[in-house]
Amino acid sequence: MPIALDPNDYALIALILGMPLLGAFVNGIWGHRLGKRAVSLMALLAVGVSFLLSVAAFVALAHLTAESGDAQVKLGWTAWQWLRTSTAQGAIVLIDARFSIDALSGMMMLVITGVGFLIHWYATSYMAEDASYARFFAYLNLFVFSMLVLVLADNLPVLFVGWEGVGLCSYLLIGFWYEKAPNAAAGKKAFIANRVGDFGLLCAMLMLVHYTGALDWNGIANAAANLVRPGEPFRVHLWPPGGGQYPAVLHFLQPDRPFTISAATAIGLALLLGCTGKSAQIPLYVWLPDAMAGPTPVSALIHAATMVTAGVYLICRLSFVFVLSPFTMMIIAVIGAGTALFAATIATTQNDIKKVLAYSTISQLGFMFLGVGVGAFTAGFFHVFTHAFFKACLFLGAGSVIHAMHARIHDDDKAQDIRYMGGLRKWLPLTHWTFAVATAAIIGFPLTSGFFSKDEILFRAYANHLKEVGLYEPPPWLSPVLFWVAIAAATLTAFYMCRLYFLTFWGDFRGWTVGRPSQAAAEELASRGAEHGSQRDDLSRPGYAPHESSRHMTIPLILLAAFSLFAGVVNPGFHLVAEPPMEHWLRPVFAGAVTDSIVVRSDAGRIEIVSAAFGFLAFAFGSIAAWWTYVAKRGDPADRVARAVPGLYGLVRDKWRIDELYDATVVAQVDSLAETASVVDSVLVDGIVSRLPSLIVAVAGSALRIVQNGVVHTYAALMVVGLVAMGWFFAVPHPNAAVTAIDGADVTVTAAPGIGYSYRWDADGDGRPDAPQFSPESMVKLHGSPGQIMNVNLEVKNAFGFVAARAVHFTVPNAPPPSP
Amino acid sequence: MIAIEHYVVLSAVIFLVGGFGFLVRRNVLVALMSIEVMLNACNLALVALNRSRLGAIGQSGFAGGNHTGQVFAFFVIAAEAAEVAVGLAIVLAFYRLRSTVRSDDADLLKN
Repeated sequence: MPIALDPNDYALIALILGMPLLGAFVNGIWGHRLGKRAVSLMALLAVGVSFLLSVAAFVALAHLTAESGDAQVKLGWTAWQWLRTSTAQGAIVLIDARFSIDALSGMMMLVITGVGFLIHWYATSYMAEDASYARFFAYLNLFVFSMLVLVLADNLPVLFVGWEGVGLCSYLLIGFWYEKAPNAAAGKKAFIANRVGDFGLLCAMLMLVHYTGALDWNGIANAAANLVRPGEPFRVHLWPPGGGQYPAVLHFLQPDRPFTISAATAIGLALLLGCTGKSAQIPLYVWLPDAMAGPTPVSALIHAATMVTAGVYLICRLSFVFVLSPFTMMIIAVIGAGTALFAATIATTQNDIKKVLAYSTISQLGFMFLGVGVGAFTAGFFHVFTHAFFKACLFLGAGSVIHAMHARIHDDDKAQDIRYMGGLRKWLPLTHWTFAVATAAIIGFPLTSGFFSKDEILFRAYANHLKEVGLYEPPPWLSPVLFWVAIAAATLTAFYMCRLYFLTFWGDFRGWTVGRPSQAAAEELASRGAEHGSQRDDLSRPGYAPHESSRHMTIPLILLAAFSLFAGVVNPGFHLVAEPPMEHWLRPVFAGAVTDSIVVRSDAGRIEIVSAAFGFLAFAFGSIAAWWTYVAKRGDPADRVARAVPGLYGLVRDKWRIDELYDATVVAQVDSLAETASVVDSVLVDGIVSRLPSLIVAVAGSALRIVQNGVVHTYAALMVVGLVAMGWFFAVPHPNAAVTAIDGADVTVTAAPGIGYSYRWDADGDGRPDAPQFSPESMVKLHGSPGQIMNVNLEVKNAFGFVAARAVHFTVPNAPPPSP
Repeated sequence: MIAIEHYVVLSAVIFLVGGFGFLVRRNVLVALMSIEVMLNACNLALVALNRSRLGAIGQSGFAGGNHTGQVFAFFVIAAEAAEVAVGLAIVLAFYRLRSTVRSDDADLLKN
């Protein structure tokens, strides 16, 4: 039965978007009066209803797709007409606030609202004790809204609104406990690092408007051929910048041929900069580990499952632009593989449970970038999909562990330190099992979701090639290098995740004495007087054991673990099914990009098995190494490595000191610039604007203070002086006259008016008045020859009968030259 | 009939006496009284000049003329009454505060 709906006016999108916004609004405005139950009800309802409507929209989309065959189907809705601009060529560019659901954004929408709902549910319990409960859920709902705007946007500016919105929410939620300075600093760091990326995105938008004359997905796709067109207007000049010639003095800078790149490469690299910022890739990844300062549900929702995948989503969304530039694709793949390995090395040495997961997220995002960078957009997006489940599950499990540790360690840092954990499976059975399942998924345990998605990326990294289009050809050794780097990263992933799992849940609990003073310290305290010691824990009792979390936290964990385990069925590889459902579903989205540009090697079938074998070996080797190190030998080999190469170990533990490097270079330069500006401001600007006027005012004040002596009689006397002066002014006539009009040789002289004035003129200047009587006529007309000097005498009489006289001299001007 | 000049000169003398008194006396009550003297000098000038003008018009046989100067004197008297009410209230408040009516001592805002 055909569904009666207009694909271009699918207003359900308004509700999908509106519910989280409503939740944010209600909780943000009235939340502090509503009480925790009402706040959590509102927040859960907002995301839950949004999820159900998303499912409905997804089903409708599936129906439409089935009806239309393989063509790309979109459900669109225009909220309002937003902007209207024009290109340099004069073409009108309309930018509407338009949203659309297609195969790609539909899946993202389901993940955001579905995983988002589970994490909201979890957070109602996790944040139950927090004083700013309503603020938290207002931010979280606002985040879901912004993220939905990001993925459902039908053009780049609307996407950018969502992009900035999620950045804002990320900032607000990282610094949620802003009373502590490091948390606020972490929020700022995330915001500023993202700003660098946003600069790239803005540049890309401007270039897209310039070269394609459109910013909506269809418009860009239709004009994408412009981006690789040869010839001057479609090339971006890098040297000399913007084209042109250097002047004679600088002529040695002029190259023989100007260095240009195609518009596709310039746009792709600018977009990539934006994506590396949002998705925490080299070189802008540094904010994500610090972002763990936020509450754990935030880390799960924003910094693992949804927001950080926005970069991958954008690359998938604009895949047809990226594939036009093989160079950009190569850079994406290299950045992805490099980040995957780099972050994995750091994760092996971290002790904070959330930091390990943060570096793991960066590493997994690197895998996604590698996937999309080699043109395997479906594989990259599949990893986004599975990663959302298992990484959310891992973060929420970590939250449950931290929650349990807090029962006995009242120290935020130590409660997250895996060195003080161990043996937690005894107390946290549900958390343990869900964490184990999610770990199995991320390290690629066969037949879990992560196994399928990661193996697909590994295989594609080796087998995919960009079709040679004569612009730039990546070196032939690139594919094997990417593959082996990815294998190394996968091995390290297995190692550090198993290390985390074993140190947290296996062995004996190492936290009994943490956060409590030792016996010696207690005796010392007692000798100084017991008052300090009485605030500490009572050492005579064993203290609380860690405990399992409430079912509001465990049920989301179980659901996410189930998805981590089984989500692979949507896209199983190895020809287990004729065409995997997800690949079929996304085919229309990527068809334009993939069919023309991506070649799969002819021996792909054989390679798939081999790469899967290496993937399995990576998993097996990494996890067995972790088991041997941390379970069989109880961490002894790790200590020996640390002692054998202390320099290298310290370097990795300090995150390769990249933060310090950035501080010494970029941040230091910005700081010195800021200091220079500050000196200029305080010396020059403040000198002119504030100190000079204040000096003038001070001098004038000192002078005027002499008369302002506070004695009433002085004031009265000054008033009398003033009155006398004014009286004198009015009593004496003031004869003033000026030439007011010239017409050739005719000149009019007018006397200044005054109260009760009458005038007597002597126009010919012979010393005798023209008339015996004073008259009120204040003007006199004269006639003279050009260049003649004329004398006029004026007498003025005022109402008191006083008379004053003045002689006026002027020269009759030469006649102006006759105008043609 | 007394010539208008006599009135004007008398008015000027009274005004100068009031102004001089206001400037040299430190007693606030006396200062207030000096202001009254100055205002009354003005009243005298207003009434006298208006009367002399009406007289001139009467001689010329022109009926009517206005009494603005006379009426203005009433307004001045009303303003004086109001001014005295406020001024005395200030003097009383000042006396309660500082136990003196010397204007030199009204220096709370100084420095």
